[in-house]
Order: sequence, then structure tokens, then C-alpha cells
Amino acid sequence: MTGLHKAYGTTTVLDVPELVLHGGQIVALVGENGAGKSTLTGILSGIVRPDRGTVEVGPSTLRPGDPVHAQQLGVSLVAQEFPLFGQLSVAENLLLGRPPAGLFVDRSAQRRQARALLDRLGAAIGTDRMVETLTVPQQQLIEIAKALGREPRVLVLDEPTSALGPVESAAVLTAARELAAAGAVVVFIGHRLDEVREIAERVVVLRNGRLVADLTAAEATEQRLVRAMVGAELSDLVGEPATAATDRDAFTAAGLTAPGIGPVDLTLRAGEILGVAGLMGSGRSRLLHTVMGAIPRTGGTMTLGDRSYDPGSPADAAAAGVGLVPEDRKHQALLLDDSVRWNVSLAVLPTLSHRRYFLSPGRERTFAAGAAAAAGVKCESIEQPVRGLSGGNQQKIVFGRWFAARPRLLLLDEPTRGVDVGAKAGIYQLIEQAAADGMAVLVASSELEELMQLTHRIAVMSRGRLVRTFDRDQFSKEAVMTAATTGAPR
Amino acid sequence: MTAAHTDRPAVTPEEPVAEPAGRRLVTRLAATPEIGVIATVIVLFIVFSAASESFAGVSNLQTMGFDLAQYGILALGVSFVILTGGIDLSLGSVVALTAVVSAWLNARAELPAPAAIAVTLLLAAAIGVLHGVFVTRLGVPPFVTTLITLVAARGAALAITKGFPIDGVSETFTDLNAYRVLLIPVPTAIFIVCCVAAWVFLERTYAGRQLYAVGGNREAARLAGIRTERRIMLAYVVSALCAGLVGVLITSRLSVGQPGVGQGWELTAIAAAVIGGISLSGGAGRVVGVAFGAILLVVINTGLVILHVSPYYQQIVLGLVLAVAVTTDRIRSRRLARARRATP
Repeated sequence: MTGLHKAYGTTTVLDVPELVLHGGQIVALVGENGAGKSTLTGILSGIVRPDRGTVEVGPSTLRPGDPVHAQQLGVSLVAQEFPLFGQLSVAENLLLGRPPAGLFVDRSAQRRQARALLDRLGAAIGTDRMVETLTVPQQQLIEIAKALGREPRVLVLDEPTSALGPVESAAVLTAARELAAAGAVVVFIGHRLDEVREIAERVVVLRNGRLVADLTAAEATEQRLVRAMVGAELSDLVGEPATAATDRDAFTAAGLTAPGIGPVDLTLRAGEILGVAGLMGSGRSRLLHTVMGAIPRTGGTMTLGDRSYDPGSPADAAAAGVGLVPEDRKHQALLLDDSVRWNVSLAVLPTLSHRRYFLSPGRERTFAAGAAAAAGVKCESIEQPVRGLSGGNQQKIVFGRWFAARPRLLLLDEPTRGVDVGAKAGIYQLIEQAAADGMAVLVASSELEELMQLTHRIAVMSRGRLVRTFDRDQFSKEAVMTAATTGAPR
Repeated sequence: MTAAHTDRPAVTPEEPVAEPAGRRLVTRLAATPEIGVIATVIVLFIVFSAASESFAGVSNLQTMGFDLAQYGILALGVSFVILTGGIDLSLGSVVALTAVVSAWLNARAELPAPAAIAVTLLLAAAIGVLHGVFVTRLGVPPFVTTLITLVAARGAALAITKGFPIDGVSETFTDLNAYRVLLIPVPTAIFIVCCVAAWVFLERTYAGRQLYAVGGNREAARLAGIRTERRIMLAYVVSALCAGLVGVLITSRLSVGQPGVGQGWELTAIAAAVIGGISLSGGAGRVVGVAFGAILLVVINTGLVILHVSPYYQQIVLGLVLAVAVTTDRIRSRRLARARRATP
């Protein structure tokens, strides 16, 4: 790649004079959101047309802005958004775009090929299932399998493991290594620096559209990477909860069951941050959704404060003082085309009303500006649509929405998924502040480090059950992983 | 030559120049999504007034007012449903059924007009509830749910009347159509009241905002603690009630319960809503737009009649207007999006 330059309007988003990627190598591309990673990989895969500069793949030059040509040259991109067809089966999605062998669709051959691709990733997903019935992590695996199936010469993985649990992530990394060993270039975009250091032989750091560091794996220490990315020190990020939990019980669940989970017994104190760890499919999300009333529970009792708590819907839960920041903010949390103001006031509309029903525009504006600022949202105006904001800012809006409702129990599902390092620190502060204000916080995350630095206790789930709870002084990656993978009840 | 060059004051584009008030108004107007419809209404009104003296006359305006009440109230109602991401195809048939039922109650069952109207509106609301239950509880797609009523309600209207209009509607009933408030016919006044009520509800109540949220992202709305099923239910009830109201107004206007009225009106109403900027994917659009969308359709219809354009061509013109409305909306929103990206 030579002399690449891309600007939107007067803002230069990418200015890279030269970057040579060698076959047989895994190159990690890191940088904050907005650093130009997606633009760079977009140009590479023909989705984005550069203003200047050329991309050469082997002997040929990529026709700029031509994704079909990029595919012909062997460039395959796994994006963070999954362009899958929800109404088609797993097998059909995997083999989409392949030339058909004959006039008719050979379903059994399709199934065999699909199975083989999924097995490379160790994914136990039925090939006949409709993609829309799959979870986000499973869809991510399908997307990766689809890219592998094209036998790419250049494979771009944009945060492939952000949605995955440790076991699935390992399988994806292994597949990437195999591909590189076979001579392909693998470009790996990641936010998890430990993972980046583990897999990549070379780490390229972008900041504000410029290439600021090009390091070998040995040179790329976590501190050096963070400094190159944000100019900040890692030590700001590592810590432990600022305040201790109180001894007042805020929430308890006894024998809680729902489809796919339980029985779960759980107690949370006011001001406590409790982490929920576990592999993908262990029921972390389901547990949170059940507590929120979004999945009907089939048995057990819950108490919130000193009252029994029996949510029939998320509306009941919100009214009782429970809030949920869901895993998939685009589909489960935000009105993307609506303003920051609308999004941030969504959960508290009735309390912003006067004479019970009527919204006061002035009061809402004041409220929204305050709530957005309190959550550290950076935006030009609260009337700006949230679609154009960065992932971190979007996530903070969802936080702001629930903070404003002042819940007793805050449920967080992958609170820092797809969020850059700087915004991550901001979100950790928000979570600690919530606990300091006396909320009980339940955080489900597939990033163990995150839970280890953020929480007072970690509960480990396996196959829908809560198998073990660790106190802070017992925290160890190995112990948690063992509990999660073996599922041995305490 | 070179001297002239240096005489010119240096232009510094980086320095933001204070926008003159006039320009600010223009940019604000350009950012108003409904500006296209409103401008078209004004232009066409002037064109038709110039082409025909009678167009802007009181009696023609009052006739347009009656038409506007019919299409406008339906358009407002269906907008609620479209905002939630649904569609209501039953409007025309519900108009016919309620027209016939109100006439039957008044003329045959000899209920006084107010009672007949009240019972008719209750029937309409019940139809709306039924739609809501089908859509929210049984998960039947809105298209199919209201298609059932499109067929069945028309059938019921024909069955009740055996195909013949019901006459003998009382004078109190037809008076609804005869009175004027400051030269404005009562149905038109009712339409204006409906517009104001819809505006207040959608823009100034939390339930209205929640309706937008449900259409914008149903799952997000649900997880944010909004009772999405209630909001959807409400939209179908409002839509059916509007159809019932139009049914009553039609019987009052025709003095008979006519089972054949309202054929295809649901499509006119949906067209008015879409022209007015209601997004068919839900969650976007405003009452001002819907009102002017309905006004535009009525102005075009009446204008073409006055200019003696054949009714066949009128349909083509309506189609073209719809096409223009949809494309300009696309272009405008794309431009806005680009402008927003260019100024981070």
C-alpha cells in the first residue's frame, strides 16, 4: 500500500505513506476508535475509495473502491457488523457467493462443506439453523468461517473475538495462525492488547489516521502500545473498586430458573460490583435478561431491597428500579437515527413529564444535557443523531440513560464491547461511580481481566448454572477459567 | 495584472464568518424535512388560483375542506400505525362499515344521532383492539391482520345493507355536515382538532415519544422499560377510530349509509402520510408533514378537476407526486447526512 490518503470533507481520517504486509505473517492493527483502522481495512477490501494512493496485492493493483475486484484478488474482510442473511440457513450463508456446481442446489454437499468450515473453528452450530436464531457470538463465528471458506490471500479480521468467549476466541486465533502458516497475510484488528500480543508477529499502531508505531511482537509491550495509541499510561486503567460494598442486601435470587439457566442463587449488596464470568453460551446474558424480566422466569424467587421482585416485563423491572445495558447496543439499546436527547431520556420519560402525561421540551433538554455530560458523552449537540458517534460515546449514552433512572440494580452485559481504550477507562469510572452511589451492579463480561480489575466478586457460570463465586483475594485467571470450563459445582 | 492580484483582500476560509440572519433561516428551513411538501402546496395553490378564478373561491375551498377531512383524518390515523413500523390496510373498509352501521343505528334502530355516532365509534375502537391483539399477542404481521379486515369489513357493510344504501338518516346527523364555524365546515374543523390533538400527543407526551421509540427500535424500546405492546395497541385503536370518524362524516355528507364508499382510501391515506415524511420503516415523521401531505393530495385532485383534466390522468399525476416526494426525501436526507459528516 502506497501513499494512501482519505479525507471526509476537511477531516483527514487516514494518511499512510507506505505499509508493506508480508505473506505468512499475522499483523495486528491497533488504535483507538477513529484512529483510521476501519478506513484502512476498508480501502484494502475495496469498500472505501481512497482519495490518493494505491493498493497492490501480489502483482496486481486493486481497482480503488471495487470490493468485487478485491475479493477476486483474494482479500477477505470480517467486519464488526455481520452482513448475514437472517432468513437463510447457516450453510447457505457460509457458501453464499460461491459459484454453483450445477443448475440445482445440492443441499447435502452444502451441508458437508459448511460442516467442514465450522469444524475448523470448532463451532458446534447446526448447519440448517436459520442465522437469525443464532446468538451474536455464533453469528460472529459464521462470519469468520465464511471468510475462511474463500481461501483468502489477505484476511482482515476486525475485532473477531470481541463477541466471543475464551474457548471460541482460541479456536479463531488458531485458524488465523494456520492461515498465516499457509502463506496468507492476516490483518488482525483488536482492542484486547494481551490477545494482540499473543497472536501477532508485528503490531502496527494508528493514531489520528497516521502510522505512529510499527513494532515486532517482542517490542510491543502493553505499556508501549497503550502509550502509542493514546499517549496515556496503562496504570490509569488497572485498579480495583474504589469503594467497598455495603452490607445491605440489594438483590437476591433464590433458585431462579428460566429457559437455559438455573437454578441460580445470588446475593448482591448495595454498592457491590459482582462480575459474571463464563464461556459463550454459559447463560451470562440470559441471567441478566431474566433478572430484567425480558425472559420470563420459570421458577424461583427474587427480592429487590426488602420487597419481593417479580418482573413480568422489562417495564416492570424498570419501574421497580432495575436497569439493563444490553450487549448489542445497536440492536438492543439505541434509536440510531434519533438524537442524543431522545436516547438518553428514553427510560425516564414518565418522570420528565408534568401533569402525568406531558413532556416539557425545556425540562427535557436540560435533563438530557446534564445526563449526557454526567456520563461523559462527547457530542457537538444533544440534537445530534447517535449514529454518527463513536462506539464509546454510544455506550456512554446507554449508561447515561440508566444512571438518570437511578436504579437500585444495574445490569451490564459486555459493557465495553467494541469500545476503545480511552472510552473503556471512562466506562469503568462510570461503573465505579454507580457502585459508590449505592447501586448494586451485575457485570457480565467475556473479558476476564476486566472483571478482575473492576469487581468485588466474580461469579462463574457454566451451562446455565452458577458454579463458583470468587472473592477478590481469590481472583486468579486460572481458577476462574477452570471453573468455567469444567463446570464443577463448588 | 499582477498588481490587481495583490489588491484583493486575502480570503481566510478557516475563519468562521457570522451567518447573516436570513441565511440562518434558510438553513433552518432546509433542515426541516416537511419543507418540500409545504412549498409544493403553496406553489400549486398559486398556480391553480391563477389558472382558475373559482379555485380559491369560498365554495370551492369548502368543498376541498370536506375532502381534506376525509383523507386527512385517515392519514393522521394511519400515521400512528406506520410510526410503530406497521401498516393499516383496513381503513377504507372500516369507513364503509362504520358509515353503514351509523346509518343503520340512526335510521333503522332509531337511535338518536349522538348515540348512533358513539356506538359506531365504539365499534371502530373494538376493531382497532382486535388488530392490536392480532399484531402484538398472536404475532400476525400487520399487513395480513389488516388485510383480513379490509376484506371482512367490506363484506359486512354489504351484508348489512344487502348492497343498497340505507336512507332515512335524521337531520341532526346530516347537520354535522351543514354547519360552518367561521366559514369552516364542521368536518374540516374536526380535522384541524385532530391535527392539534395528534401533534400534542406525538410531540408533547411521553407516550407519544414511546410510540416513536417502538417504531425506531422495538427491542431497544422494550429493554428500556417501555410497554411496547400497549403503544402498538394504541396506534391501531387510533387508526380504526379515525376510520370510524370518517365513516360517520361520510354518512352525514351523503345522508345515506353507502356500503361502497371508501374503496382504496387506505392507499390515499398512506400516500398522504408518506408524502408528508412518515417513514414506512417506522419511527420517523411528523404531524405537520402528514397534514400538508393530505392538503397536497386534495389540492392536486381538485385543481385537476377544475382544469378539466381527465380522471385517468389524475391517477398518473398522483403517482408522479408520490415518486417525486419519495425521491426528494431520499436526496435531502442523503445531503444532510453528507453535510453532517463534512462538519465534524
